[in-house]
Amino acid sequence: MADVDAARRELEAALGPDAVIADPLGRRLYARDASMVEGGCALVALPTTAEQVQACVRAAATYGLPVVPRGSGTGLAGGATPIGDSLVVATARMTRIVEVRPEDRLAWVEPGVPNLDLANHLRTRGWTFAPDPSSQQTSSIGGNVNTNAGGPHCLAYGVTSAHVLAVDMVMADGSLERFGAEGPEAPGYDLRGVIVGSEGTLGVVTRVCVRILPVPPAVRTMLFGFDSVDACAATVSAIIAGGVVPAALEMMDRGIVRAVENFAHAGYPVDAAAVLLVEVDGTEAGVTEQTRRVEEAAADHGVSSVRIAADETERAGLWKGRKSAFGAIAQIAPHYHLHDCVVPRTKLVEVMRGVYAIAEHHGLIVTNVFHAGDGNLHPLFSFDRSVPGTLERVLRASDEVVRLCVDAGGALSGEHGIGLEKRDFMPLVFTDEDLEAQACLRSSFDPDGRMNPRKVLPDGARCGEFAVAAAGSGVAAADAADLPEGSWI
Amino acid sequence: MDLIHPRTAADVADALREASTSGRRVLVVGGRRHIDKGNPSGVDAELWTTQLDGVVAYEPAEMLTVVQAGMRCDALGAMLAEHGQEWPADAPPEATVGGVIASGSSSARRMRVGPLRDTVVEMEFVTGDGRLVRSGARTVKNVTGYDLHRLAAGSLGTLGVITQVALKVRPLPERRLTLTAPGDLPLATAIASEVTLAAGVVATTDAVEVRLEGWAGEVDELAAAVTRLAPASTPEDLPSFPRAPWWTWPGDATIAEVAVAPSRLVGVVSATTTYAALAGVGLAWVVAANEDELGELRRRAERAGGIAPVVRGPGGLGSADVRGADVLRRLKRSFDPAHVLAPGRSLADLPQTR
Repeated sequence: MADVDAARRELEAALGPDAVIADPLGRRLYARDASMVEGGCALVALPTTAEQVQACVRAAATYGLPVVPRGSGTGLAGGATPIGDSLVVATARMTRIVEVRPEDRLAWVEPGVPNLDLANHLRTRGWTFAPDPSSQQTSSIGGNVNTNAGGPHCLAYGVTSAHVLAVDMVMADGSLERFGAEGPEAPGYDLRGVIVGSEGTLGVVTRVCVRILPVPPAVRTMLFGFDSVDACAATVSAIIAGGVVPAALEMMDRGIVRAVENFAHAGYPVDAAAVLLVEVDGTEAGVTEQTRRVEEAAADHGVSSVRIAADETERAGLWKGRKSAFGAIAQIAPHYHLHDCVVPRTKLVEVMRGVYAIAEHHGLIVTNVFHAGDGNLHPLFSFDRSVPGTLERVLRASDEVVRLCVDAGGALSGEHGIGLEKRDFMPLVFTDEDLEAQACLRSSFDPDGRMNPRKVLPDGARCGEFAVAAAGSGVAAADAADLPEGSWI
Repeated sequence: MDLIHPRTAADVADALREASTSGRRVLVVGGRRHIDKGNPSGVDAELWTTQLDGVVAYEPAEMLTVVQAGMRCDALGAMLAEHGQEWPADAPPEATVGGVIASGSSSARRMRVGPLRDTVVEMEFVTGDGRLVRSGARTVKNVTGYDLHRLAAGSLGTLGVITQVALKVRPLPERRLTLTAPGDLPLATAIASEVTLAAGVVATTDAVEVRLEGWAGEVDELAAAVTRLAPASTPEDLPSFPRAPWWTWPGDATIAEVAVAPSRLVGVVSATTTYAALAGVGLAWVVAANEDELGELRRRAERAGGIAPVVRGPGGLGSADVRGADVLRRLKRSFDPAHVLAPGRSLADLPQTR
C-alpha cells in the first residue's frame, strides 16, 4: 500500500515545502495532459536538480508510489496523465541552458527548457536546434526527448532522436546514469536511442546533450494553393520523387486555412481546397535550384496560387499561419480532438479521402493540418462536448482513423507516442512476441515496474524473464477498472 | 567450425533455437569487414546471412526501401542509383546491409548525412533463443512502442541476428567533388567549422580532403569557400571518400576507431603517426603499432571523454566505462538467455562479470 503522507514529508524535507503539491486543487492541475484522458495523482513534486529528482524516485520507491515524469503536458496520448496513487515528477523548474559549445556542435540543457527558448537562445549565436514541434512555445526539451518529438523541420533534419547525443537519467532505483556521449559514438548498446521516445517509462531525464546545427545561410519559404486536396497531396510526392527534400513540407486543408486566416491574417488563400507550405534551405545557389524544382512540381499539378516570401517578415507571417493553427481552431467549436498517426507518403491522398468519409459518416467537423512530407497526419475533430453523444461519436471516429492509418501501412503515432490512449491499439501493429520483447527492454531498465506504469504497452504484455519480479514489487498497480474515463480502453 | 547458411528468417530462428538448446556458440557474419571488432573467440559455428539477400519493397517516392539483411551494399547501391537515390553507408562493396548496421559504422560523410543508425526505421531480427521480433514501421516518422532496432544497431550480433530492415534512403547529390590540399587537422577543423555544409573534412598527417556534394551551383559556392581557406587545393571527382578508407590501408597493423567530441580530436590523434581524422565529427581511424601505442591512444581518448575500439586486429572494444551495466546485462539475458551469440565480444561477456 502506498504511504502518501510519509512520502510527502520526505519530499518536503528534501525539496522544500513549496516544491511539493499535495492539495486536491493543485493536484487536479496535473491530472491530465493534452489528451482526452483525465487521471489523478497522490503528489506532485517540482524538483530543481538531478539530486532532487533522485530523492523523488527513492521516496516513491520507499513508500510504494509509481513515478510519472512530466514535461509541459502537451502530449496528445496521455503519456503524462497520472493514474492511481502516483507521484508526478514535473521538470518544469529545471530550466537552465547549462552550456553551448559550438566547437563541438552541442549544448547541454535541463529538461524543463521550453523548445522555443532553446531555439531563440541558439539563434542569436548563429545556431539552431532542428526539432520544432508546433507546441514549441510550451513543450519542453525533456518532453521532446520522451516523445521523440517531430515538427515541420524534421523532414530534412530528422526527428528528436537524431539531435540528442546523450542524456542523464535517474533510473528506477534512484541512481543517476549518463547514456550516449558528447562524441559521435558511445560504448555499449545504444541505450540513448531507446530512451528517446520511451515516454517516461525508463527513468526521469535530468539533463540532455543536444546536437546543434548552424543556421543555414539561405532559406526560402513558399505557399501554394490548390483547387483539390488530391492535387496538393500529389505535389508532395512529386517534390520528393524529383530529388528535393525540403526543410519543411506542410499541408493544410480549407477548413483550417479559413480558421487561420481569421486569426493570424497571414495572407493564406481562403478559396483554395488545400495549401502547401514549403521551405527549402542551404546555400544561395542550392536554394534557387530547389525553389525552381518545387515550383515546377506545383505547376505540374495545377497550382492555383503561388506566394514566395520576399523577406524574413513575410516568411515569419507564413509560418505564423501554420503554427497558430491549433489556436485558431477554437473558433470552430469549443473542444477538439487532435490525432497523430503516420502513413506512407504515397498513401496520403487515399487516407485523406478516408478521413473525410469517416467524419461525414459520424456527422463531425474535421480539419487537417499536418506534416505532409513525413506522412504524419493530424486530423482534428472539432466538437462541443456539452452536446450529448458527441464525445462518443468523436471517439468512434478516432478509432476508425487509427485503423485506417494502420491498414494503409502506417504507424500509430508520429510524434506524441502511445501513452494511455493508444496502448490497446498496439496489437494492431505488433505480435505478442514483439510486445514481449518490448516489455523485456522496459524491464531491463525498470524491473519492478515503477516508472510510468501501464503506459505504452497493453496490460497483457510481459517479459517472461521479469514477470515474477514485477508481480512481487511493492508498487500498487491500478486495476483495469481504475483507468480514467475517456481512455479508449 | 560449423557453417549455418540460412535461406529464410525461419531458418535463422530454427538454427538459433537449436543453438540455445545445445549451447552451440554462433557468430553472425556479414561481409567480415568488422569481424575483428570486439574480437570474438570460442566460436562453434558461423551464421552467414548472404542468402538472405532479397529486396522486399522499394518505393522511390517514399525514400524507403525494405531489404533482407544479407544483401550486399554494392547490390543495394546499384538498385537505388537507378532511381537517383543512395543509402549513405559508404561501406566496401562486399559488406552486407545487416553487417554494416550491426557493426555500428557510419559514412565518412556523416557531417551531412548523419549517423547510419538513424536510417534504420524498421527491423526484424531473431533473438538468441530463436524468437522473430519486429520493431519500428515503414514510415519516416514513428513513435510506436520501444525502438528495439536501436538496440540491435551497433550490438555486434550479441542480441540477435538482423534478418530484414527498412531503410531511409536519400537523393543522390547532383554533383560531388573532392578538394585535396596540403595541410593538417587544425586546417581541417577550420574548414569544417567555416564550411558547415561540407559532407566531410578528413585530415591525414600531411593532407586535407574535403568532400562536397549537393546541387551543382551549391558545390561551386562551397568549393569557393574551401579554396579561400586552403588556396592550394586540387579538385577531383573521386567515387570514394576518403580516398583511402581504413579498410584499404596496407599491412595488418591494428586500427582503432577513436570517437570524441570534435574539439578534442586534435589532442587525441596529434601524437600518432598514421591516421585519418574526421574534423567536425570527432571520429578518427588511427594505426596503433603495438599494445603500448594502443594503450596510450585509449588513455588519451578516455581523458577526452571518448572511446577507441579496435576495428582491425586484436585489442577489443577497450576498457571505457560502460554506463548502465545492469541494464546491459538484463538485456543480454532477455534476448540471448543461453549466451550463444557472438561469444567473446566484450558486450556479450558482460553477464559473466557479475
